[in-house]
Amino acid sequence: MSGRFAASNQVAIVGYAQSQIRRNAGRALGSLAVDTARDAIRDAGLTVDQIDGFVSSSLLPSAAGRGVEDGVNIVSSNWLAQHLGATPRYAAGFDGIGQLPGSVVLGVNAVASGAADYVLVHRALHNPKGRYHGNPMREARGAQQWVAPQGFFGPLAMIALPYNEYLQRFGARRESMHGVVVEARKNGARIPWSFWHDRPLSAAEYLAAPTLFDPVCRYDCDIPVDGVAAFVLTSAERAKDLPHRPVYIAGYASAAPSRARLPLHWPLDDILDGGAAMARRLWAHAGIVAEDVDLPQVYDGFSPFVWFWLEVLGLCPVGEAHRFVANGGIDSDRDGSIPVLSGGGALGNGRMHGVPQMLECYLQLSQRAGDRQRTAAQLGLACHSSPHYGGAVVYSAEPY
Amino acid sequence: MTATRPLPVPDEQSGPFWAAAAHHVLKVARCARCDVLSLPPDLVCPHCGSTDPKFTFTRISGDGAIRSWTVVRQAFLPGFDEDVPFMLVDVELAAQPGLRMIGRLLDGVEAGVGIGDAVVAGFEDLTPEVAVPAFRLAR
Repeated sequence: MSGRFAASNQVAIVGYAQSQIRRNAGRALGSLAVDTARDAIRDAGLTVDQIDGFVSSSLLPSAAGRGVEDGVNIVSSNWLAQHLGATPRYAAGFDGIGQLPGSVVLGVNAVASGAADYVLVHRALHNPKGRYHGNPMREARGAQQWVAPQGFFGPLAMIALPYNEYLQRFGARRESMHGVVVEARKNGARIPWSFWHDRPLSAAEYLAAPTLFDPVCRYDCDIPVDGVAAFVLTSAERAKDLPHRPVYIAGYASAAPSRARLPLHWPLDDILDGGAAMARRLWAHAGIVAEDVDLPQVYDGFSPFVWFWLEVLGLCPVGEAHRFVANGGIDSDRDGSIPVLSGGGALGNGRMHGVPQMLECYLQLSQRAGDRQRTAAQLGLACHSSPHYGGAVVYSAEPY
Repeated sequence: MTATRPLPVPDEQSGPFWAAAAHHVLKVARCARCDVLSLPPDLVCPHCGSTDPKFTFTRISGDGAIRSWTVVRQAFLPGFDEDVPFMLVDVELAAQPGLRMIGRLLDGVEAGVGIGDAVVAGFEDLTPEVAVPAFRLAR
């Protein structure tokens, strides 16, 4: 069995919209999603009645145990289709992790199979009032009974353990992480819709921040925001008649489930081994090798993910990412570097869960990045979540 | 009065674990079919795939080695505000290669720790009936 995607380069992104990314949008998330979806459909040169497929993931990534309310703190595909007045043949939600690549995969497969002709992929993120991860739990039931009574709870504890394991194993220092965060904020500061527009971060500011869950400080975490992005997918054939240069989906991969663990327990070996296995399938699926990718956009919802992704993708040797970054290896303004955060990522835009990575691939490969345009980019890679947990999609400027 | 920490709610599967912990004894689920330990116990044995693992809780020493740690300086759960900062350790238990457990290190945040350092089980008494497994440095 070949690992190559049978529909490689047969489906393309043909339009997009990205809302402003704000701590508080000042309006309902559902309204913002409808406006953003309409903008994306218009951008693709289409009308709502032509959109016959809707895909998304609606996870609210807060550990606070809040209930979800469609249209208020999440927006599902069905909610969006209903409020656009659309009558899709296909509407689906992805309920795994790596929500954006997972949604794109649903959309690509729907177009490739003929289940839908024009698919809207959207992601709507909300910053609820109150403490984002603060949880009033008094009784720890089910899986939580094994960790919460001990005080192991929430995403910062989750990432702190493998991050420290990495520092100890490879002799890295947490101070070296400023290279990741400063790079993300530098690029995010250049993006008009970013929450961090015009607000770069200095190394001194990074290093002055106290740790919250050692070795993690606040700047290692993306900031929760209100924001919506939407993309339109269709076949490569139909894309020829639309206004913008298509960007083709060459292949994708999601991580396989790792071994059963305590809730949120991510030992470093699970991340690196699971991520490397996912990367091997990814290259086979897209029919490329790592060196072919000139615009890898790695996920950075927590800064250590950048080191982990660099290594599992083979962009630098295992255990070397901290030195690779310190030596300017990811500086988007330096010739010969690998611009893995040129789109600002999550640290430079806000908690948009994989959107900045996908959007940067689309904007650069479609030649729509304006004064941020990088002329050489031909093959992009958009990653989301932890390498052993999420997924990635390969985008191409030309079908091959 | 300050908020109390979350208390475990034992269920059909976890009951023996918490009953033993209350007496400061660490017991871990062992699959009746493949004899391998699981923490936490799952509906399906993660080692042999049995859907009827008939777990029995086996006393283990609680000896182990530190694989990672973090110092928690901000509590997201009630009842921990007066405990911060505290240290959590990710421990590989000696009872079985790859068997990991996360708990507080009761020696405090100033205790110098390193990867591979030996620990033994300790317990925190939260109420007269409930104790939570934790660790202490073996040295």
